[in-house]
Amino acid sequence: MAELDLRRPVVRAEEPWRPAGRRRPGTLRARATWTGRGRLVAGLVALGLLVAGAVLIPWLGGLDQGAVDYAAVRQPPSLAHPFGTDAVGRDLFLRAFAGLGVSLTVAASCAVISTVIGTLYGAVSGLLGGWPDRLLMRAVDGVNAVPHLLLGIVIVALYRGSVLAVIASIGLTHWTTVARVVRSEVLSLRSRPFVDAAISGGASRRRVLGRHLLPAVVPPAVLSSVLILPHAVWHETALSFLGLGLPPHLASLGNILAEGRQAVLLGSWWIVVFPSVLLAATTLAVAGVAAWWRDRSRPRRRSELAL
Amino acid sequence: MITVRRVITVRFVPVAVVAALALLVGACAAPTAGPATDPASMVLADGYEPDDLNPLLGYGEEGASKLYDGLTALDADRQPQPNLAASAPVAAPDGLSWTVSLRPGVTFHDGTTFDAADVVATYRAVLDPAKAATVASGFPMLRDVVAVDPATVRFDLSSPFLLFPGRLTLPIVPAEQVAAPGPASDLALGTKPVGTGPYRLVEWRQGSSMVLEANPAYHGGTPAVRRITIVFATDDNTRAQRVVAGEFDGTVLPPALARGIAGQAQGMVLREHTSADYRTITMPFANPVTADPAIRQALNRAVNRQGMIDALLAGQGTPASTPVPPVLPEEVEPAAQFPFDPVAANALLDTAGWVRGADGVRSRGALPARFTLMYNPADTVRRDLAQAFASDARTIGVDVRLEGLGWDAIEPRMGADAVVLGGGNPFDTAFKSWQLLASANAADGFNNPGSYRNAAVDQALGAALAAPDRATRAAELRRFQLAYAADPGMVFLTFLGHSYLTRDRFDGYRPVVEPHTHGTTWGPWWNVERWTPRT
Amino acid sequence: MSTATVGRRRGREIGTLVAWRLGVAVPVVAVVATAVFLLAAWSPFDPIYQYFGAGVFSAGDAAIANARVQLGLDDSVWSQLGRWAGGLLSGDLGQSLSFRQPVSTVVGQRLPWTLLLVTVGLVVAVVISLVAGVTAAWRQGGWVDRGVTAVGHTLEGLPPFVLALGAIAVFAVAWPVLPVAGLTDAGAAPTVDQVTRHLVLPAVVLGVSQTPWLVLHVRSSLLGALDEDHVTGARARGLPERVVMLRHALPTALLPFVTVLGNRLPELVTGAVLVETVFSWPGIAAAVVTAALSVDFPLLAALTLLTTAAVLLGALLADVAVLVLDPRVSADG
Repeated sequence: MAELDLRRPVVRAEEPWRPAGRRRPGTLRARATWTGRGRLVAGLVALGLLVAGAVLIPWLGGLDQGAVDYAAVRQPPSLAHPFGTDAVGRDLFLRAFAGLGVSLTVAASCAVISTVIGTLYGAVSGLLGGWPDRLLMRAVDGVNAVPHLLLGIVIVALYRGSVLAVIASIGLTHWTTVARVVRSEVLSLRSRPFVDAAISGGASRRRVLGRHLLPAVVPPAVLSSVLILPHAVWHETALSFLGLGLPPHLASLGNILAEGRQAVLLGSWWIVVFPSVLLAATTLAVAGVAAWWRDRSRPRRRSELAL
Repeated sequence: MITVRRVITVRFVPVAVVAALALLVGACAAPTAGPATDPASMVLADGYEPDDLNPLLGYGEEGASKLYDGLTALDADRQPQPNLAASAPVAAPDGLSWTVSLRPGVTFHDGTTFDAADVVATYRAVLDPAKAATVASGFPMLRDVVAVDPATVRFDLSSPFLLFPGRLTLPIVPAEQVAAPGPASDLALGTKPVGTGPYRLVEWRQGSSMVLEANPAYHGGTPAVRRITIVFATDDNTRAQRVVAGEFDGTVLPPALARGIAGQAQGMVLREHTSADYRTITMPFANPVTADPAIRQALNRAVNRQGMIDALLAGQGTPASTPVPPVLPEEVEPAAQFPFDPVAANALLDTAGWVRGADGVRSRGALPARFTLMYNPADTVRRDLAQAFASDARTIGVDVRLEGLGWDAIEPRMGADAVVLGGGNPFDTAFKSWQLLASANAADGFNNPGSYRNAAVDQALGAALAAPDRATRAAELRRFQLAYAADPGMVFLTFLGHSYLTRDRFDGYRPVVEPHTHGTTWGPWWNVERWTPRT
Repeated sequence: MSTATVGRRRGREIGTLVAWRLGVAVPVVAVVATAVFLLAAWSPFDPIYQYFGAGVFSAGDAAIANARVQLGLDDSVWSQLGRWAGGLLSGDLGQSLSFRQPVSTVVGQRLPWTLLLVTVGLVVAVVISLVAGVTAAWRQGGWVDRGVTAVGHTLEGLPPFVLALGAIAVFAVAWPVLPVAGLTDAGAAPTVDQVTRHLVLPAVVLGVSQTPWLVLHVRSSLLGALDEDHVTGARARGLPERVVMLRHALPTALLPFVTVLGNRLPELVTGAVLVETVFSWPGIAAAVVTAALSVDFPLLAALTLLTTAAVLLGALLADVAVLVLDPRVSADG
């Protein structure tokens, strides 16, 4: 359940008691910044490796999605099959990485959808301000009040057998975090002197929007879409595991793991372990990026993130 | 300072409560012995829950329903024996009527007495179009039923039907239960069955479980297994998981899974039954690709049936080329079996003008050799067979797109898209083949869903059904198989082995060759009323 | 200010908060209901197939047309929506197609088991995260801290069903001391003993799957709290570290934890869907999957609304709890 922790809950209560800038010497802050940067690099490298693996390994290995091998059913890991084979004799090394690729592609599509919706929504909300802003943010609360997986299940159930439905079911339910981040960014920019200066200098509304606000909003929006990735992967696997996601013959981490229930009973541990490791590795890699992002944004935008 | 302390104490209360609760849960969680089981009761798990228990809608059509009895019942050698009939049905010399004398002194679960009126009412309800009984398709030869006297009925047929006693397994229900006008689906029988069977229904929690209790008035004597609880768990893995945990006295499992866990499930025996239960890929005639004779011929030669059986079914199954199962050797035509021969399959397609494209997929003119195969993903055997079929089809350049769908979604599309279909029985293969492949049954639900039409097949099957004796019947059946193989309307893959785990605690088990219907009606428990708990 | 005045003001604040939240909740639920209905109305799925089931093939065109009229399927989407909403308001949730029972019966039978599972799961999650979080923060940078953080981040990446599979591998196969499926042993009555034994694995898996965020949160907010003046003050007075930690720092850190708990309810429901499915727990969350697989719209819609309401209620309860527990927070809605 990789809920993004962008809205790191902030202790409203403690603010009045905390003298600004006072820290215990040599504690968390300094260390966190360092490890944050370290984790960013490690996370990016790991993510790069995973993506490269997902693209290259099935291609180099000549993966044939549809081919089954009657002679190699449920074989434990070996030199020929480093991750073993599944119930119909397909090589899991190729299939797991192909599955990671499929899952990441689905997740990336979802992330793009979420980011576009979230950015537009957040920007509009932030720019309008006042009661429209409050209303729009209440609507976000409403979307958040429906458990994402449940809403996803409803969408997928009604539009069965469609990959688009899977993508839409995830994309349409995860834009709220992006919307919040973008909105707070816009709100804080609006109050900055350079925006005031531009406006009082006679710049048009559109020019302010295009030249000052948009460029500032894009980086956090892009970052938060990266942060959505593991959650989207997670969702795809959960839907497929429940038999509601991608068609079972298509390689995806969720579909491979869906076979896991049987595999566990038959002692074919490799069918569960390797895809799970890939899944966890993806989340950990992105978590590295997320940690850096939190550390970077914490001092400056702390109160704004606590919406 | 005092106030702060008080606040802190208050704040700690919930934490303490939580911790205490957790400890409590932990303490309760200590494993204890399972429930004391009554030796005369049995808990089974079934992967399929009937929609309804109305015999007019198909429940217990082939006997072994536990709740109902037919006039005849099939024995371990698949021969009809008198059940509610007092003796074997007698045919008139012209074969156009059968007379059945009824067993005296039988009562229904509701206490009413069984007589000829009930038999007549049941069969007339089947024939009544207003009842829309789905089992009606099983009685195309039946014209009318009349009560000769309270203990004798006569069935009048429109054409001779040699194996008619085998069709009399249809459960008999009280006349008053089917008296109400309107469709059969509105009858109370669906949820409150009344029969003469060895067990009566005590409770049915739909979606969860069913409890059956021995019928003390059963004409065969009160069953020694007094109580049967049937738990419905549609997911194969769930049943496997729970049977390993020792929760069930028996369940049905896919062959590979059953073998895999047989060693872990203590006190259970693995029962593997042969069956006439085929799995076939339909080739709908409304689809230009699957309607092409060359494609159908080629696919039949491209599938590695034995490979599928060994790899996916743990060897439990026999290759199928036609609906006639090898357990009936006298009816099987050896020349109608398709060999595994991808080279010949490719040659067939080449000759027919299906040209391989750059992507390996063949096409003829603008038509690519591509079709959709639907399967129900909840059934792992069908899922695996679908994937294997698609893989084999690709080797000869036919692109099979798979779609895992629920039955609700599959049914409306069966006319145009292929589906992994199951069915079959070892009692009357001629009739089963007629239902599945005769043009008279085209697009009638799951009967001939692909609307296969073949005049030679129709003719041979008609002759087999009307045959005056077994030898002629078998000869006509073999002629049917040759006609079918010359222009196959489906791709039969395998006759499935049925695998079960049952607790080794009862005597009376007899192996049986099963129809498609299995689980807890057929299966090892087909004669459970004659089982006795071991002491 | 006397305690009584504070109490009265607190009561008023809570009242305002509850009223305001309920005022927001009603339109939210209404919007969700409309959205779900429209999703269904515009989907390719035709309810007529559900009505007839397999009989749709034997049914004549006239019968089908008649049923369409009876069911009002040819009316405009909006009048169908109105009828459905009217039914909901009058308490008629419709008939579940997959369970062949009224939706209200399905919910009534299954909701208690889900509540039990979710509550115990939450308790497990809270206990584990408090113990692990406090230990980690106490020895910040030590091996316990690193271990907890690493395990937390790894668990973050694993969906609950992977944990469940692991639990099954252990308890169904290797070490069969706990039942791995169902509410009771098959055929047994749901006694306290039975249910408790069957509850252990699902609840622990659900709890553990929720732990990572909570642990990491407890740890970081404890570290934050350790910086605070009253904690520093306590240290300066020479109180033992244990007392400082548990009596001074932890209470400060616990308040935001309550809010986090309330906000995690959707994730808990999501986890319950997966856990109930894997462990065949006969709860409402597993019914979601059954309903989805057979396109049982009445049940799906009812469950969506139910969980939405539950999530809103959870957030409200958490906020009220914070108000009650912390004198410094003022209710700003």
